[in-house]
Amino acid sequence: MNNNVLIIGSGIAGMDASLMLSRAGKKVFLVEKLSLIGGKIIKNEESFPNLDCSTCLIAPIQQDILQDKNIEVMTVSTVQKVEGTAGNFKVKIFKKARYVNMQDCLGCGMCYPPCPVSQINEWEENLMEKKAVYVPTAGSLPNVPVIDADKCLRLNGTEECNKCAEACMFGAIDFTEKDEEIEVEVGSIIVATGFDTLDVSEMENLGYGKISGVYTALEFERLFSSNGPTEGKLTLRDSKKSPESIAIIHCVGRDDVGYCSSVCCTYSAKHAHFLKHKLPNAKIYNFYNDICLPDKTYQKFHEKIKGHATEFIFQADRNKMNIIQKGAKIEVSYIDKKDIKNSVLVDMVILANAMVPANSSTELYETLGIETDKYGFVASQTFRIGSVATSKPGIFVAGCAEGPKDIQSSVIQAEAAVAQILSKN
Amino acid sequence: MSDKIGIYVCECGPNIASRVHIDKIMEDLAKLEDFKDKELVIKNHKLLCSVDGKKFLEDEINENGFSHLVLAACSPRDHDTTFINVCKKTKLNPYMYRIINIREQCAWVYSDKDVATEKAVRYIHAGMNRVLYQKPLNETELDSNPDVLVIGGGTTGIEAALSSAGENRKIFLIEKEENLGDLTSKLKELLPRQGSNLNVLKQRISDVQNNKNIRIFTNTELESIVGFLGNFEIVLKNKKSDETTELLVGAVVMANGAELQNPQELTDFNFQNDDNVFTAQEVEEMFSQSDKLTLRNGNEPKSVALVHCVGRKDLGYCSKICCNYLQKIAHYINEQSNNIEITEFYKHLCLPNKEDQEYHQKITDKVNFVRITDISLCGTELNLTKINGENSTLKPDMVILATGIIPAKDNPKFAKMLKVDLDERGFFNEAHLKKDPISTNTDGVFIAGTTKGPAGISESILQAQACAGKILTQLIPGQKIIPEVMVSEILEAYCRGCKTCLDVCGFGAIYFDEDKGVSIVNEAICRGCGNCVGSCPSGSIRTKYFTNPQLYQEVKEALR
Repeated sequence: MNNNVLIIGSGIAGMDASLMLSRAGKKVFLVEKLSLIGGKIIKNEESFPNLDCSTCLIAPIQQDILQDKNIEVMTVSTVQKVEGTAGNFKVKIFKKARYVNMQDCLGCGMCYPPCPVSQINEWEENLMEKKAVYVPTAGSLPNVPVIDADKCLRLNGTEECNKCAEACMFGAIDFTEKDEEIEVEVGSIIVATGFDTLDVSEMENLGYGKISGVYTALEFERLFSSNGPTEGKLTLRDSKKSPESIAIIHCVGRDDVGYCSSVCCTYSAKHAHFLKHKLPNAKIYNFYNDICLPDKTYQKFHEKIKGHATEFIFQADRNKMNIIQKGAKIEVSYIDKKDIKNSVLVDMVILANAMVPANSSTELYETLGIETDKYGFVASQTFRIGSVATSKPGIFVAGCAEGPKDIQSSVIQAEAAVAQILSKN
Repeated sequence: MSDKIGIYVCECGPNIASRVHIDKIMEDLAKLEDFKDKELVIKNHKLLCSVDGKKFLEDEINENGFSHLVLAACSPRDHDTTFINVCKKTKLNPYMYRIINIREQCAWVYSDKDVATEKAVRYIHAGMNRVLYQKPLNETELDSNPDVLVIGGGTTGIEAALSSAGENRKIFLIEKEENLGDLTSKLKELLPRQGSNLNVLKQRISDVQNNKNIRIFTNTELESIVGFLGNFEIVLKNKKSDETTELLVGAVVMANGAELQNPQELTDFNFQNDDNVFTAQEVEEMFSQSDKLTLRNGNEPKSVALVHCVGRKDLGYCSKICCNYLQKIAHYINEQSNNIEITEFYKHLCLPNKEDQEYHQKITDKVNFVRITDISLCGTELNLTKINGENSTLKPDMVILATGIIPAKDNPKFAKMLKVDLDERGFFNEAHLKKDPISTNTDGVFIAGTTKGPAGISESILQAQACAGKILTQLIPGQKIIPEVMVSEILEAYCRGCKTCLDVCGFGAIYFDEDKGVSIVNEAICRGCGNCVGSCPSGSIRTKYFTNPQLYQEVKEALR
């Protein structure tokens, strides 16, 4: 019986479980596909309902993880193969070369400016560019850049560029680093792979991708963030002006995915608050159908913002929302509470798009041999009520990999998974 | 022993070195008037946090035998722990060291190198002043008891007991009523999120009864509790026999549940006991017992109105589970007969789990859903305003009310005993709503289920398991507990016994000694937050490592 634990995903659920298991003396392998740990929370400058600073919430946890001797953090890594059964899993992990030595690099950032390559920064929701050697965002932890081998002129064979290595005073750039396949043995696995958001570019009626003033909720989070693409200035991507009127659309894609994402109503209220805070004269509308506030604290937060920041407009049919460009403005038309078609003109639209299973998680769940539900989330075993057990003994699920949920529910699942693992040995 | 102070300036590669004059800093420090009779060792290093740097520092401390150490480097958030760990390997007590941040606070914030240098000298000088007033502090180890008291024998408490129990950990499960799992026994079916098999829940009751590591006390209440994580002394009292039991536990799980609001206390809902107005819980029980919905006269109703969000307006929060269980009741009624007309009156549907919407959609063509903005009740007569502004009145045969979940009446009593905060609604408060949602402000006291707010069965069970997760990581059998070192202490001679500090302590770490007439800090509980220090009118409290002389010595130079 092996006591080690593999945790896949380093969001709040994965980090919380890692620290707890380490405290109980277990060796933890924390695998993260990105070059930084922390998950989605750090994309939000402030998190609801008490609007505490997300970095302040997460950074100490990230630091604890990185300094913990029982936790082996594997970034830019993915799980390739899993063999064996509960108590004795053999796991093959594909660890991509970072090309920057984690021990030598200090995170001073001197290597970025000389890099001649520019590419889109997906972590910043495509709202800005990054170099071929980059950290996804200011404040990334570990504070060590990664070199994109496909884009780097030297690594992709275009030319003998050596500019980042020349700029590094610590000799931390290492072009000879190779991708590795690492095999680890563990007794249990926690799947904490999180979520992504629904691609709304296919939804004709919303104009996303065609009308530049239409943003997704995560794009807006980055726009608002002081470490984001505009350093927190709320300016539109084309005009570079601040919007004077904004429509926030709840429940985007809900009927396409078939479930409520449970957090959008509260974060959409938060977005109204953000807008009012930075643009006090802006006119803000929240278009809702059902308001879902599933925590004792959420209604108070909702009412406070509804009172001063925004006008809540009921739309009778979520699927009849239509967003089109009308001159310099955006027209949002909807079916109102009297069942009549109505509309408002705004400068900016924020879509609260549904949470969906994380990209490429289907492959991973197949590799792990665990069942998913009809939506693609990990199916928890309903014969054990409220369980974090998956269909395969020894493999547990926590956080949004199991379905949409808020931060506290993710943490609770992580802690429940820890209990399941520790009570077995 | 005479003072010998080690001062090490980290260059942080180019981060500090390129923005301040390192040599000038070292020269200025060597010339300080007020330190001329002290022995100083002043050196720089390229990168103190590196493997080489740490080894260098360790050797330097050992060779020089410093009495005090000042490191001028980065933010303590980055590397304070790193250097504390270096000190721990040497003879130097780690509380005789101080890190000074000359990177974020000097090097990185000035374009003028001379200004940054001058400020760095001042800050380091301030740190040197401070360390002279620091005292060695030593970590102590305390024995801890791994056993657990679970308060409440409902589904949540049962789960907490089963998930925590083990060979080396006994669980004492107390329930104030006669039986365990009372609420579960009143259910007919479960919701999709909760699994399809109600027997699983019922099985848990016999599991807990048959578990030799779990001792069950029914008809029992908590009489008293004193102590802290790992060491709580508890007294249990049997309500019937008045017999008391004294036990020692390491942790407590609060799972005393919640109550349902009485709709007759609401101004908008006027009805008598013999009216055909029922709460959803009464209806669930009716189905569970007789599998049939009947009016008070025994006949089947022809029309039933289900009213959502009863009392929510007054409560100010969503009870989270009502939309789902009303769907369940609609399913029951529809299964009983297609001829019963079902109408649901709601403002918003709250379906927060991934299983909920599909379940709701299965019933939508069998139920008339009416969205309203307001509703009031007189007997079974409903007066309502629809979302489009129309008013209407109707009188169905039967009305079923989804009433709000409210905190249990004995929460304040428990909160006082356990020294745990309640929130503004009267539910137990989380240590941190997001990152520590089942812990409380008292270490070793955990909360699960509706004791901390509205929650469904599956959610309550997860919370109970999460409590077990915390207990299994914080109270490992045989492992000692190391309490906080930087705690408050009260100078008895100065204490006037005003008890202000007892009110401001968020951890219940201070108690009052009636004989001496002074407040006393329990160092095992204190976290060193300093609230009491600020509140004390006679200045008799100080927090170790943050004493007034230490802070004054630092500030007087920094603000000079």
